[in-house]
Amino acid sequence: MAGDFVPKMTTDKRSPNDPVFIGVGELPSGRYPNRTFIGDLTEVAHLAIQDSGLSRSDIDTILLIPCLHSFADQADLIFSRMVEELGLSKSAKSSFMAHSGGSTSDNAVRIASGLIAGGHARNVLVLQAERWGSADLSKMVTMLTLNGIPQEWEQPSGITFNAIGALITRAYMEASGSTPAEMASVCVALRQWSRLNPNAMYRDRDLTIDEILASKMICDPLRAKECPMLADGAAAFVMTSAENARRNHDSWVRVNASGGCVSHYSLGQETDAATLGWKIAADRAYTHADWGPQDADFAQIYDSYAAITTIGAEGLGLVPPGEAARFFHAGHASPGGKLPMNTNGGLLSAGHTGVGGGLALLVEGIRQLLHRAETPRQIEGARRGIIGGSGGSYMDAQVLLLERIEKGELQ
Amino acid sequence: MSAIVEGFREGLKQGELRIQTCNACGTHILYPRHRCISCGSDDLGWTVASGRGVLHTFTVVRAVPPEGFEDELPYGLGVVKLEEGVQLMARLWPATDGSGWDGYACNAPVVFSPSDAASVDKRPVAWFAPAAV
Repeated sequence: MAGDFVPKMTTDKRSPNDPVFIGVGELPSGRYPNRTFIGDLTEVAHLAIQDSGLSRSDIDTILLIPCLHSFADQADLIFSRMVEELGLSKSAKSSFMAHSGGSTSDNAVRIASGLIAGGHARNVLVLQAERWGSADLSKMVTMLTLNGIPQEWEQPSGITFNAIGALITRAYMEASGSTPAEMASVCVALRQWSRLNPNAMYRDRDLTIDEILASKMICDPLRAKECPMLADGAAAFVMTSAENARRNHDSWVRVNASGGCVSHYSLGQETDAATLGWKIAADRAYTHADWGPQDADFAQIYDSYAAITTIGAEGLGLVPPGEAARFFHAGHASPGGKLPMNTNGGLLSAGHTGVGGGLALLVEGIRQLLHRAETPRQIEGARRGIIGGSGGSYMDAQVLLLERIEKGELQ
Repeated sequence: MSAIVEGFREGLKQGELRIQTCNACGTHILYPRHRCISCGSDDLGWTVASGRGVLHTFTVVRAVPPEGFEDELPYGLGVVKLEEGVQLMARLWPATDGSGWDGYACNAPVVFSPSDAASVDKRPVAWFAPAAV
């Protein structure tokens, strides 16, 4: 296919129907036994709608990102409970759920964008809440083992999600020559960011490489303080058309291009656990983009384990192959570094809110580009950011290239 | 249990590592599928693998196991690439001299080393050990 003309898979930033982000909402992540699932969804919906400058009645489409703590709660969402909870009965045109695990938020952006660009929706509210932090940990571990790991094929091996993270970490360390201290430094950098994020689970506690290397071995080479903590949390965003956005806003955020690659279902079938699908997904995004990795002001890359982020950063071309863990170790991805990464603290330090971990990273990226992050977490003058998502057993790599648009520059 | 995994499990009980193979185009397939992932045929059978492969990556599960695996801790797990061009998630035998899983390394050769039929009934999984160099 080399040399063939490839039509650009992007929308035009000057189009009235260009799908754009205008607001976000988020609740603190952690353990909040007194909060409720529907209460959190309602609260975060109000926060996002308020941030977008719209009224509740402007929302015509609700796109739900699932919870994993309870199938009953998930069924409530599938059957439009949030329409009633938000007082949108009859005025809502559509309410539905999409699901691809941790990459759901990236796919939700694609769906909402298509609905807006195609004239099927005006204002889409995307929202999610999770109650993992208040759930029974052993039940959640068993639930995660019984769902999404091939039942008749890999479950008899005793594989767990920590084991999947460990298998990928081992492959990455072998391929890159990264040391345990360099891998631990990714977790330390994320903790430096979460200390600046009032919504993060670990906003009040420092973390050091020594502390990580002294923690209990869970699945070699992963230690306890390199594994994510399950958290309660909620996040949401609002998308609309550029035409609607310009009525009330001087700036907004759009998708310059996206790319994706589904590389496997079961990790046992992944032919290269040290690279996964990131480079293929990134190449697909950059082919259609107006800018590349060298232009990014930050990146938010799925991080339920450090190696997922280092593999992603390399596949995305943000760091030379094999160098991402050392890049973190040198402080380049930390606050004040040359390429800030996972500025909310990531899943590892902001909290693993199930399918919401990827959403929290996306919401942080949108927030940074809207220039609405708290000081000093806000990256000054941020214009372009790269979002990298992944779901299941790191079955896919999803890439969104986001950019800030200011009204005046479209003349 | 779906019928397509029965051939694999029956092989394990007999001490064989079987690979699903397309009778139409000869493609090797693991895990077993309902149709050939290459030509789409539903005429699928089994061949016996050599048992030789390379360890792609591995871990030792030491804590937070799935329900029912508590008594097996610690246990070794790895992704094995077979010389026939297919791969699978496998259990890894610890060394008998007490050195655990120190004898394993990424990209090092491993060999299928079956467990007994009673173990296969409980856990239908393929076991591997380091290959003599």
